[in-house]
Amino acid sequence: MYRFLVVFIGFAFMSIANAYENPLTGNSEAAKSSKQYHENVSVIRKMHPEFLNHKRDKTLRQGVRTEENSLKGCVNCHANKDETTNEYHSVNDKDQFCSDCHQQVSVSVDCFSCHRTTPGASYKGVR
Amino acid sequence: MSKTLNRRDFIKTTTATTASVATIASGITLTTFAANANENPVTNEKRWGMLIDTNRLTEANIDGMVTACKKEHGWGSEAHSTGDQKSNWIRKLKVKDKATGKVTSLPLMCQHCEEPPCVDVCPTNASMKREDGIVLVDRHLCIGCRYCMMACPYDARSFVHEDLTDQKEDMPRGKGTVESCTLCVHKVDKGEAPACVASVNSDAVIFGDLYDANSKINQTLKKVQSAQIRADLNLNTGVRYSGI
Repeated sequence: MYRFLVVFIGFAFMSIANAYENPLTGNSEAAKSSKQYHENVSVIRKMHPEFLNHKRDKTLRQGVRTEENSLKGCVNCHANKDETTNEYHSVNDKDQFCSDCHQQVSVSVDCFSCHRTTPGASYKGVR
Repeated sequence: MSKTLNRRDFIKTTTATTASVATIASGITLTTFAANANENPVTNEKRWGMLIDTNRLTEANIDGMVTACKKEHGWGSEAHSTGDQKSNWIRKLKVKDKATGKVTSLPLMCQHCEEPPCVDVCPTNASMKREDGIVLVDRHLCIGCRYCMMACPYDARSFVHEDLTDQKEDMPRGKGTVESCTLCVHKVDKGEAPACVASVNSDAVIFGDLYDANSKINQTLKKVQSAQIRADLNLNTGVRYSGI
């Protein structure tokens, strides 16, 4: 009976681990993660331009350099790696994280004419 | 006495366990902040500045400063830009005293003026001065008119003439915008010294808070003779020189 209990608790744990259904595909850190970083996926989908614009002014003009809503954070977490070369795809390449939606809705992304499109050398992975 | 677990007890126990585990686990999120991330806006209680002692600075030191800046910010390898089009955030300058013939080499970059002419002329507020005295270009707003380049008495600003890729993660740069020395603002916000200052690694170049009476730069400025370049313009520069 106790053995049965242990098995059941094991299942209960697994169900908690799987409670967050990751909407992302690919092998980026965000896609592999079983934890939810953004409070609400639909909010971040709709509001990310506003969040990014707000944060960029705070960072550049006021020196607030937190991870929250930082574009560098987006790129670090959402860039996929090429399985064969083990190098990052640019987030704005065709069918990659940013352009995937943006090409569908015909909205150009201007961020990456200046900003880096892959995690930088100093990025050490998993937070 | 052997205790048997009936169906009802079993469900009770497992539900309670699941609930408690869920409660604890929900507090754990993926969010972690860097230990020294700057969460508060900068204030005008500080003013960042630099004191460059040209007597102690060798030409090799100055070249090292330029190289360190290039490496930190990723400029200098623009393949399609020629001559004046090339970026020049910091450069080695030779000045000669006509009366005595004394030649002095000095590194010249954005002087981070208290009254920056580049900010005065900018039509979009892209050229701006932070509260702590660092003068920057907000390239989100820059339209590339280059008025600031005309206004700057130190010729400290450059314009990016070509498409760039693989920028440094801390220093976004792009075609059609003006750029200049940022005093390594991303490092300063983390409590580090600018790359050029770190490359010299001696008291020949001192970086610090001009307002802090206990800072090395403040103490040294009290003792040694120092000058601003083009002091006649009354810009009150943050970068000062001794030995010229």
